[in-house]
Amino acid sequence: MTAVAPTALAPVRQKLSADEVLMRIGVVLVGCFLLLAVVLPIWALLKKAFEDKSGNFVGLANIEQFFATPSLATSAMNSVFIALVSTVLCVGLAFVYAYGLMRTCLPGRGFFRIVSQIPLLAPSLLPAISLVYLFGNQGFATWLLFGHSIYGPIGIVIGEVFWTFPHALIIVTTALAIADARHFEAAQSLKASEWRIFMTVTLPGIRYGLISATFVVFVLVITDFGVPKVIGEQYNVLATDIYKQVIGQQNFQMGAVVGLVLLTPAVIAFFIDRIAQRRQTALLSARAVPLIPKPNKTVDWAFFAICSVIAAMIIIVLAVAFIASIAKFWPYDLTPSLKNYNFDMMDGGGWESYRNSLTMSALTAVIGTAVIFTGAYLLEKTTRFSAPRSIVRFLTLLPLAVPGLVLGLGFIFFFNDKDNPLNFIYGTMAILVLCTIGHFYSVAHLTATTALKQIDPEFETVSSSLKVPIYKTFLFVTLPVCLPAVLEIAMYLFVNAMTTVSAVVFLYSPKTTLASIAVLNMDDAGDVAPAAAMAIMIFMTSAVVRILYTIATGSFLRRAQAWRRR
Amino acid sequence: MAVRISATRTFSSTCRAEVALSRAKAEEAKPRPQQPYLSIRNLTKRFEKFAALDNVDLDIAEGEFVSILGPSGCGKTTLLRAVAGLDVQTSGTVHQAGRDISNLPVSGRDFGIVFQSYALFPNLTIAANVGYGLTSAGYKRQEIEKRVTELLNLVGLADQAKKYPAQLSGGQQQRVALARALALSPGLLLLDEPLSALDARVRARLRGEIRDLQRRLGITTIMVTHDQEEALTMSDRVVVMSKGRIEQIGTPDEIYGRPASAFVADFVGRMNFIPGNLLSDSMVEVKGAKLDFAEPVGLGRGSAVTVCIRPEDVVLHRGNGSDPNRLDAQIGVMEFVGNHFSTVLHAENTNLNISADFSMNDVREFGLASGKTVPIRLPPDRLRVFPNPPSEA
Repeated sequence: MTAVAPTALAPVRQKLSADEVLMRIGVVLVGCFLLLAVVLPIWALLKKAFEDKSGNFVGLANIEQFFATPSLATSAMNSVFIALVSTVLCVGLAFVYAYGLMRTCLPGRGFFRIVSQIPLLAPSLLPAISLVYLFGNQGFATWLLFGHSIYGPIGIVIGEVFWTFPHALIIVTTALAIADARHFEAAQSLKASEWRIFMTVTLPGIRYGLISATFVVFVLVITDFGVPKVIGEQYNVLATDIYKQVIGQQNFQMGAVVGLVLLTPAVIAFFIDRIAQRRQTALLSARAVPLIPKPNKTVDWAFFAICSVIAAMIIIVLAVAFIASIAKFWPYDLTPSLKNYNFDMMDGGGWESYRNSLTMSALTAVIGTAVIFTGAYLLEKTTRFSAPRSIVRFLTLLPLAVPGLVLGLGFIFFFNDKDNPLNFIYGTMAILVLCTIGHFYSVAHLTATTALKQIDPEFETVSSSLKVPIYKTFLFVTLPVCLPAVLEIAMYLFVNAMTTVSAVVFLYSPKTTLASIAVLNMDDAGDVAPAAAMAIMIFMTSAVVRILYTIATGSFLRRAQAWRRR
Repeated sequence: MAVRISATRTFSSTCRAEVALSRAKAEEAKPRPQQPYLSIRNLTKRFEKFAALDNVDLDIAEGEFVSILGPSGCGKTTLLRAVAGLDVQTSGTVHQAGRDISNLPVSGRDFGIVFQSYALFPNLTIAANVGYGLTSAGYKRQEIEKRVTELLNLVGLADQAKKYPAQLSGGQQQRVALARALALSPGLLLLDEPLSALDARVRARLRGEIRDLQRRLGITTIMVTHDQEEALTMSDRVVVMSKGRIEQIGTPDEIYGRPASAFVADFVGRMNFIPGNLLSDSMVEVKGAKLDFAEPVGLGRGSAVTVCIRPEDVVLHRGNGSDPNRLDAQIGVMEFVGNHFSTVLHAENTNLNISADFSMNDVREFGLASGKTVPIRLPPDRLRVFPNPPSEA
């Protein structure tokens, strides 16, 4: 190597273009948003768990007290028990159902798919209410329980399985979709039995999906508040305790400790899920041949039978709530009547709470989609600036590890603090929207990132070489190209904002009651039929939005995106 | 069938013809300006300890078409991205038209770029794609329309203006990308593996089209490619890179005919590599055979060297004279590869085996067949001798 003049060795620092400055500011702003909507509230909660009532640091005293309180320790045991049983049942059923959908030629696949998504469109309170109608003291199928009571662990488990079923199903279905037909052909040509192929090819291929589903369901169940609240009666779990401690006894410190206890499994699950998903996607090589199931009369009809039973249960749960809501007096007088929909005559905020829910969901969808999609774009496309980008990228995933209940509690601690300049948003619609966006940020962000990764990485390069400002390319190219993903994010945020209970239950004020909260409060007050009616309203609204989304993407792909056609 | 094989296998002969042609053209149309248009000095790009570019110097004249050729990971794309400002170098300078652009952002530089993936905006029509930069530059609508039509005419796609990229073939899309890159009349055109995503026939046709266009516009062009055929047929000069360094800069026939290192000899075209010992400044001993060679290597007697000769440079000896480098050789298995035969020759009374190509005419005329012994000659001016072991540059 020849000697080089020292000046030539001076490291080159590239000047920033206007675009780059703009994008860096954007990344920082997204970071600030997440700080406000997730990090600082969680920090406030963690702090609270180690303080006494007057705000002095007391170390582990609160946690010691938690374990020393017999009722709380029992709740913790109950929570773990419920979560374990529900997880095993839910993942088992989801696996069978998903296997039927993906690996057999059962008739009516599309129908089964749609039915499986029903639970996503209703708050977790709905299955609990239905179970009360079915198996409660006056239920028409109570005899099926052989003397056991639905109020308690049995009811909670069934309700949780219903509510978490689609979550598990989506993960397992995705895992089953990734399969290399050549592995199966190789096994068959080596004369392996069906059972052996199942054990040596099928199961190993989806093991990470099953792990992932297991942890996701476990965390959903252990942090769910709706089902045990409605059907748990005397059977205490942590999620209901946290509510009692905070709302009932105003014991914020103990509430924070319970929150911390709930946060722990969620954080562990978060990391295991991340690892599992990374391995799952690595299983599929680019040259894999997609597996197309071959018809097999016996297998197909067997799975048709099993899936029908599961689908029937989902439909029955929904139908019972619906019928109960439009009957004069379930189960004695089934004459149709809309009296239960006369919400203004009940506690819980009346129709106003439904309108509030619509407003809140619309705001969440619009603002959330704008923030999340733009944020994902900035994180993907900003050049260099790598340390701030990876920090913000980590923050976008953080909400996955934070149960809604814990986030809601954190919001109280953070925003209800008199010293917080943002204290004024406490009790307004703004805090509900902020909390809901924070709560559902990660999944929406991942959807956006996936869509952005699929478009050509050189669009931005080409536009800067053509001297076109980055925001123009974002608006005129990236956004239109990613419109299906954008609509999906908006739909996801809207439906979740409609159905969520856990985070917002701590944050609503008399002026901002929500439909899902109204379900809770009416059920609490003994107005079970109106509660069912409101739950059905939520379901129907979500369903309509979902259908609109399907129509919109369909027609959009046909018309506006003429360029997709060849 | 025969045609298809020849398209892939006998690249050396077709290539040479095209190279000769392009050189003839280049000579009639090339008064080189003194001041280089693009001047790269001491360009180094480090990732941790690994140097993707190691002190690269390169001058490119105005209007020149330069290809950067090398295996994947040799740093050719890194070099292009540094020139574009996409991944700026760790140290070193780049001057374009006398202006120091070393630390300018992408938008502050003056170039058009075409990617392997085309990177056409899928939701915009062909016309809107080509006019994308013009719209932002603030031209009037009529001016834009006029310029877009002009550019589309240039690449022969005027009738496709209203279509969307997905409705065009790969080759057409690449031409649109080219038109878009040229829209703002940049001083420099960067082509990043522009033809790699296309199938062989389209690639061969587009090669000529791009070269023609570049000539007509006289635009300084840098093309990165791993395809030697592309580099040799299209370029005024070829830069061969390996491990972050430049191995050789030269015209296509210099690169092919007089490779500067064993690496270049190996990477470009096919080559026999035979270990040997230097007997004198013009004679080398290889596996028991003594061979003359034309170009002195400047090494001492007895130095270990590698002797190279291309298979097509091995010729049948005509006449009876005892010319230098005449050997009797036995023909091994003959492999028919379309328009010629490929075989391995064993030189009698030595341990020397050489791959050789013989034309169909030779085979017929001399009745070449497996097992037969024929007189061959290794022309001294075709032998290349490199220090041994081949320098791991």
